[in-house]
Amino acid sequence: MKKIFCIVAITLLLSTIAFADLAKPPTPNGTRGIETTLDIRLDANAKEARLIIPRSQIKQLRAELESLDDGSDNTATIVGSSGISRLQTIMSGMFLSLAFVIGGVWFVRSGRAETKAVKSMVALLAVSFAATSATFVFGNAGPPSEARSITGKMFTPAVHMYGFGWGKIKLEVSDEDKNAVRLIVPNPPKTTASPSEE
Amino acid sequence: MQEIRSKSFGLTSAQIFFWAFVLSCALAAILIGSFPLQLSIATIFLFAGPHNLMEFRYFAARMPVRWGRSRLFYSVGISGVVVLTASYLILYFSSGNWLWSLESWQIYAAGWNTAFVLWIGVLFYLRGKQRRKDWSIVFAAVLLLAALAWVVPQYWSLALVYLHPFIAMWFLERQIRRTRPEWLRAYHYCLLSIPIFLLILWATLFDQPNLSEETNLFWRIGQHAGSEVLPFVSSHLLVATHVFLESIHYFVWLLIIPLVDKRAVPWRLKDVPLFSNANGIPRIFAGFMIVSTVIAFALVFGFAVDYTTTRDIYFAFAIGHVLAEFPFLVKML
Repeated sequence: MKKIFCIVAITLLLSTIAFADLAKPPTPNGTRGIETTLDIRLDANAKEARLIIPRSQIKQLRAELESLDDGSDNTATIVGSSGISRLQTIMSGMFLSLAFVIGGVWFVRSGRAETKAVKSMVALLAVSFAATSATFVFGNAGPPSEARSITGKMFTPAVHMYGFGWGKIKLEVSDEDKNAVRLIVPNPPKTTASPSEE
Repeated sequence: MQEIRSKSFGLTSAQIFFWAFVLSCALAAILIGSFPLQLSIATIFLFAGPHNLMEFRYFAARMPVRWGRSRLFYSVGISGVVVLTASYLILYFSSGNWLWSLESWQIYAAGWNTAFVLWIGVLFYLRGKQRRKDWSIVFAAVLLLAALAWVVPQYWSLALVYLHPFIAMWFLERQIRRTRPEWLRAYHYCLLSIPIFLLILWATLFDQPNLSEETNLFWRIGQHAGSEVLPFVSSHLLVATHVFLESIHYFVWLLIIPLVDKRAVPWRLKDVPLFSNANGIPRIFAGFMIVSTVIAFALVFGFAVDYTTTRDIYFAFAIGHVLAEFPFLVKML
């Protein structure tokens, strides 16, 4: 027993020296990226939105990304856009599920579910839950369709109030333009009602 | 025939207690609202050590010589305090170490919080078994809290900072029930006055500019009160709220509990089973009390020499007394 204790104590003591001698990891030099120009064009004939990146700039970007990988900065893979890691989500989900299961089992076993007051309370809770969910759904309703597709309508004052928009886009690489990234935005002309429809 | 009646107007002890409590809170709210940083420094300097000593003295007086049927409860309680305190100190003092990434530190903190709430759940469950009641619903509650600890760890930790003072008020409520039941109603009114004082403080301070962070100490005080977690709230309001609640907490342990429970009066050692009982451990108990008193004085000396460092060290070790409160509180239910 004494021998084991001594071995563990010595190992722990030596481990502190070993850890103390480890080199400090290099700190990343700020955000990686390349500076360029974005050229936005409204095109009446375009069928889909296209983002055209010059091949020369793609090479620069690739070089930057490779150096970023060497720095082993894998934050993006661990933490999602909401700032909550995958492990946090799994653990909290598991505890939440267990809480509901244990609470439910206790509630049923205790026999309290049989009384009128509790039945009314459960019904009230269910209605409150539905109402709260509806509030959340409507409260988080997305912007109009104009802001959810990249077209010329995105630049109208009606969409400006949201301050953001998104939509599908095709990424392309081009050898033609070497200086600027080009964004082609479909801008179909306004259709006017034909006389027969009037 | 003429009758002469003398009518005397007198206040009951419960009424005196109520007015003393409310007036003290009013005075504290005015002073703390006006000088939150200064009062934060002063209250910790004066009361941090002595209130810990009083808590230790109170718990020692409640500890039975033989645990009997409560053996499992006290074993879980004391081992939980020791293990959780040790792991908290490792977490606290290694937080600046570059070997810990932010992610691993957050996982460790969430793990510690989970262990903490599960430990409290086990204590409640064991106490329920002693009282022949089914308190297993507490596990649903602690698992819900554990889920919150993983989703919003920063808010969870801040909630502990603000909830801790209320534990002292809960202790006092249980103690008044036992030894001064005639004060119970008055005390409930005292408790009702606290949200009113808080509302007045918030209404007065919500638009105040943030407190100075020009020194490390001021920054630490603001950070402790949650200025980084709640950046949209005036740090003046946060620090004042925290100091106000902490002051009530000190006030309860140092003054009111010894007032309602004679066994908590420091020098009345004959009422302490561990000291006066034939099967007690008087020498060990006396030794602990002397060491605790020396630590309390050392703390005051440390604050006088280097306030900021001593404050950091104090708040790290203070987790021990926070944890020790739970087994005794649950045992009183």
